[in-house]
Amino acid sequence: MEYKVEAHRIMSISLGKIYNSRVQRGGIKLHKNLLVSLVLRSARQVYLSDYYAGVCLNAQHIEAKEWELMDADREKLIPASEAAQPSSADCGVSEAAQPGQTRTTGGAQLCLKRHVGAEDGRASRLQEKDGDSLDPSDVAVTSPVSPAISETQCGSSDCETDADAAVTEGDSRQPPKDHACSHRKRSAEETGVSETPVKRTKVTPNAIVANNEIEEGEEMDTSNVSNLITIFGSGFSGLLSKDSAKSESETDDSDSGSGQICCEQMLKNLNPWTTAIVAF
Amino acid sequence: MLTLVRIQSCLASMPYIYFVANLLTEILPCGVLCIFCIPADIISTVEFNYSGELLATGDKGGRVVIFQREQESKNRPLSRGEYNVYSTFQSHEPEFDYLKSLEIEEKINKIRWLPQQNAAHFLLSTNDKTIKLWKISERDKRAEGYNLKDEDGRLRDPFRITTLRVPVLMPMDLMVEASPRRIFANAHTYHINSISVNSDHETYLSADDLRINLWHLEITDRSFNIVDIKPANMEELTEVITAAECHPHQCNVFVYSSSKGTIRLCDMRAAALCDRHSKFFEEPEDPSSRSFFSEIISSISDVKFSHSGRYMMTRDYLSVKVWDLNMENRPVETYQVHEYLRSKLCSLYENDCIFDKFECCWNGSDSAIMTGSYNNFFRMFDRNTRRDITLEASRENSKPRAMLKPRKVCTGGKRKKDEISVDSLDFNKKILHTAWHPKENVIAVAATNNLYIFQDKIN
Repeated sequence: MEYKVEAHRIMSISLGKIYNSRVQRGGIKLHKNLLVSLVLRSARQVYLSDYYAGVCLNAQHIEAKEWELMDADREKLIPASEAAQPSSADCGVSEAAQPGQTRTTGGAQLCLKRHVGAEDGRASRLQEKDGDSLDPSDVAVTSPVSPAISETQCGSSDCETDADAAVTEGDSRQPPKDHACSHRKRSAEETGVSETPVKRTKVTPNAIVANNEIEEGEEMDTSNVSNLITIFGSGFSGLLSKDSAKSESETDDSDSGSGQICCEQMLKNLNPWTTAIVAF
Repeated sequence: MLTLVRIQSCLASMPYIYFVANLLTEILPCGVLCIFCIPADIISTVEFNYSGELLATGDKGGRVVIFQREQESKNRPLSRGEYNVYSTFQSHEPEFDYLKSLEIEEKINKIRWLPQQNAAHFLLSTNDKTIKLWKISERDKRAEGYNLKDEDGRLRDPFRITTLRVPVLMPMDLMVEASPRRIFANAHTYHINSISVNSDHETYLSADDLRINLWHLEITDRSFNIVDIKPANMEELTEVITAAECHPHQCNVFVYSSSKGTIRLCDMRAAALCDRHSKFFEEPEDPSSRSFFSEIISSISDVKFSHSGRYMMTRDYLSVKVWDLNMENRPVETYQVHEYLRSKLCSLYENDCIFDKFECCWNGSDSAIMTGSYNNFFRMFDRNTRRDITLEASRENSKPRAMLKPRKVCTGGKRKKDEISVDSLDFNKKILHTAWHPKENVIAVAATNNLYIFQDKIN
């Protein structure tokens, strides 16, 4: 538990540093941002491994298989995920945990809030789809892997589509979600989970899978940016107006019931994005 | 000139020369020669020239200040080898990259002297993007007796000239001029972190985060890219170049260090593009000391060849390592600089101190190495006797004619008198840049905006 608090704190601090580096004189320093993103990644791994403690071995094994599958899919999608995502260190990482308060900087807090709103829809959907038969191990399976793929295409768009599907139904942003769901589906299959939750995920996207293929491309392009935007909070407000508007509606709709899991989701999302940030 | 005057007045108010008993007779410089205060600006680089007669400092404001050692004279025995300000000039100005909407800092990242070939001195100074070759020359004569203009410089009325005379060279007050002779620009997309003059005295290399370029000193519109570690997809980036240096004797060999704690030695004879290294130096990581910050503290901040060319030294956050160029799998010596900080890495990460880039240097005979730490401490290690010492560069603790005491940091348990506890270290006072005279035991230590010059006790 202490590990988790510490890891969370370090992640918040790292995000704050990345945020502040944008306004530093002399431009973004590649070396420093790379190091910060590495810390962010390590902290995230500890954070996740701590949360899913006990099943990480299983997850790693499945992750390894996942990566092969994801690689094939990657060509179709925006290659925004990391090439190498070290998964071996999760369980082995030990940290002299310093119990302390979970502090967040302003920017990080803002992004946490927005992502809580954004992710809530998806998280709750994931949970209700998977039901009790899907224990946290499966979520662990999907989450480190699929965000690397699915979130990279969709990011907040994905969340938005989930929420839209949940709330308004029949929105135009289904295709990205479709990809995400299909990945989730596959990974669920890999773990040998019962077909029922899988089928449930299939139902909604299938209906709209035919639509908006054309929008897919540009959706993915803007989703990268929009996710960055949500990470960095109000600095970009109004830049992509429809995206931020959607995020706003997200926040309004969701509650913070599964806030913890939403944080999880957000933090899993971070990894590809921080490298994207670094990549300038 | 204003800056010059202020520095001189600093000198005038500090007539102190400090001495301390030789504690490590082999290596230790003991007395404070002079303290220079460069107002308003943080010193960002310090470098002696090849003879040690000149000492150049660069600061965050883009200025270069050069100090010259006074010749020894019998009249003033105490002023043996004092350094006085020789020249000051503005090397780099802040610039703006309109394409990327980025301001380019004028901070001088590195200064490297060229070997002296005539009466003038040449040095290379670089900021994040542009390298400049400066010529520093003395002028102590002036032509007088022009026909077409009078002493004020005003043009004379040609009709009033009735006689002709030959202008004569008259002595004048020594004036030191600095003029930019070459400007090497637009070759680096990322921030330049190192420059290094080759032993052929014709070429030099410049390194940024992802690329190393080879230049000829005479040619400014072209440079060869010899190392490129930029991945095709920037999101696959895992390491950057942190420092690079040419071998002191072999003009085809250079090394570069990375943020992952590895050093690659490259031979330019092997290929035009030295992406494939000839030697790869890496020490396996100790798994028991892994933490969130393992990657940061293993990032190498400085690499320096020994004067002999047989060894090289690397500085990472907590230690200094000496490597034998013939052995790649581990360093031959490792010195802990401030191991007591290992338990404080999280706080150091928060206040950004963990990203500080400390430099290191060899003494002239390669028997000792020196590097900086926090609280204005700097450390010296004798490689032969394995003794080490911690000293502090601070005015408050140095009284005239007093002993400069070695300092000790209390790492735990009961704090002895004169020891400093880890928690009371001032992390804003850091010594990142140090330089050692190439021949004598004179060292220059930059503590924020103060430059300290220490020398062996005069006996």
